[in-house]
Amino acid sequence: ISKQAITHNIGHPSWHSSLYVKDVLPCFSFSEIGISKEEALEALQVVRRECPGEAARPPGESESLRKYTALELLKQEQAQGFIITFCSALDDILGGGIQLTKVTEICGAPGVGKTQLCMQLAVDVQIPECFGGLAGEAVFIDTEGSFMVDRVVDIATVCVQHCQLIAETHQEEDHQKALETFSLENILSHIYYFRCHDYVELLAQVYLLPDFLLEHSKVRLVIIDGIAFPFRHDFEDFSLRTRLLNGLAQQLISIANERQLNSMFFPCPSGESWGHAATIRLILHWDNKQSRLATLYKSPSQRESTVPYHITSHGFRDIQPPSPSPTLVEAEANPRKRPRVEGEEELKN
Amino acid sequence: MDWDRLDMNPKVIAAVKKANIKSIKEILNLSGPDLQRLTKLSSMDVQYLLKTVSGTLRKSSALTALQLYQDKDPFTSYHQRLSLGCPVLDSLLRGGLPLEGITEVAGESSAGKTQISLQLCLSVQYPYEYGGLDSGAVYVCTEDVFPNKRLKQLTEQQQKLRVDVSLDVIQKIKFGNRIFIEHAADIDTFQECITKRIPLMLSRGMVRLIIIDSIAALFRCEFGAKDSVMKAKYLQTFGAKLHSLSSRFKTPIVCVNQVTDMVDEKEVAQNNFRVPDKRISPALGITWSNQLLMRLMASRTPHQEHSSSATSQHSGRVLRTLGVVFAPHLPQSFCYYTVNLEGVRGMR
Repeated sequence: ISKQAITHNIGHPSWHSSLYVKDVLPCFSFSEIGISKEEALEALQVVRRECPGEAARPPGESESLRKYTALELLKQEQAQGFIITFCSALDDILGGGIQLTKVTEICGAPGVGKTQLCMQLAVDVQIPECFGGLAGEAVFIDTEGSFMVDRVVDIATVCVQHCQLIAETHQEEDHQKALETFSLENILSHIYYFRCHDYVELLAQVYLLPDFLLEHSKVRLVIIDGIAFPFRHDFEDFSLRTRLLNGLAQQLISIANERQLNSMFFPCPSGESWGHAATIRLILHWDNKQSRLATLYKSPSQRESTVPYHITSHGFRDIQPPSPSPTLVEAEANPRKRPRVEGEEELKN
Repeated sequence: MDWDRLDMNPKVIAAVKKANIKSIKEILNLSGPDLQRLTKLSSMDVQYLLKTVSGTLRKSSALTALQLYQDKDPFTSYHQRLSLGCPVLDSLLRGGLPLEGITEVAGESSAGKTQISLQLCLSVQYPYEYGGLDSGAVYVCTEDVFPNKRLKQLTEQQQKLRVDVSLDVIQKIKFGNRIFIEHAADIDTFQECITKRIPLMLSRGMVRLIIIDSIAALFRCEFGAKDSVMKAKYLQTFGAKLHSLSSRFKTPIVCVNQVTDMVDEKEVAQNNFRVPDKRISPALGITWSNQLLMRLMASRTPHQEHSSSATSQHSGRVLRTLGVVFAPHLPQSFCYYTVNLEGVRGMR
């Protein structure tokens, strides 16, 4: 059986390239094409033989078909690195930070800090490699209009200062060099912002995302804040909503896998179907309206656990341990207020 | 949708027409395999179709955060805020209200919510350089009559409140002519108001501030406990409509909301003979909270202002607080304020 024969059998003029046959043939039922199962198998084998090696395929697609051993996958995953959150307790329960190639879902009540974490991560993903970062860029898709540049400026400024502090104490050459390009303006210019006003715009944006990421190959983080918001109204037909959300989730997962980046989205825990879509689910919640807690609810590699966190003027942070000897007056005046020491958070290298 | 206007392969256009697909929305609502079945196109052509229509819909390319940060156009700028008419309150909110999004002012009755709203109606009318938006306001009353007398009083006292603005600028503004009052006592009237009349005013540039006093009153009588699904649906529809108006016209929306007492049953059981700590939460629950950009809480304290001058007749005004409950760009914080003859003033 030859290529021509397949084309002839199928009777479809657009089946011209072997590449295409290889990609598409398995998707059709054999009766639909009009050849027997054996013929189809043979066709596939012929085509595979004709284009050995991955060079013939466009990059990106090769990933999905290649075989990996578990060991290779483990090594790959370990080499990918994490986006740190600047809250070391949260990093610990996540196994080092927000994982690349995974979809992370962050849920929580309004005002608990979901958007704060988003903005923090959009900055953190850009930390230069010599400081233990990823030197990446970020895409921020905003459906609620809650992206506040002023706040990103706060967070980015502190992050730059933090790296400067490290550079001063370590006095290493590559630190100085990395700091030359790690400035507020640079950070801001590497956050690509898209505002989507309704779900149709969001769907369209996600269809366009793969091409955008090809052009901007340094993007390591895609944030959608929030995914449920545009789907909350205007839906008489709930099956359509479920289908669209599932389709969206599938696209995000494949984008995260192929492009070696992380995507995350922030719905509220309303639709149970979302429980399956994300690989990692993090829930932010209040403890008696006083302190904030983060619970890792679903993760393939880490165990379920809860840690406290704090949102300071600097961004997303650990709860500061109480200072060793608080003066009596201070403690009485405001038991919840704890003295903050500048730059005491350590970047994990 | 006129498919011929799209820059697309004629074969694909013909297939879309033949499948009787009318709009881009319809295409995006379909899954890839469904599209393939309907149009009888190959999967590659379908991908091409999806990308092309998506590109048509999303014409604007990405903005970087730096571009947002450096945007100086007062109409679109992310820095532009609507001033509350008092520097102390503005600094609590980092300049004032953001132009896009719904801001809630919650609080018990007589906490000062309406006073803050009225002051916003006036401050929106100032030119940009004084924190205004150089436009009017629409005030939607859902329960009480609009406090006309108080507005007149505030208008007359503007020069006392706004010492930062020169007298002839204040005198030039016809405050009363640019506040439009809508009464909407039930859900249908309200819906009509936000879908027809307000969009018209916005598109004519007559107003750039919408105040709804109050949103909870609409739902108080008509809905019993068993109608909660219906109520949630209405809240979502209203929220979505207000959102789209706000982002389309860069117009801040302020919703006044009541609070309800939260009684913790466990606490009551444990402290049978003691009055439990009073805790309140804004009405309408999480469905509504999800629609908000930021929530402010106004409340009265039992204390009175200690006036430094013994002769002042206004000493003994009730001290109130305005607090940020949540906002993406603000920490949880509060400041004291008082309601004076000339308006609302924060205290350092």
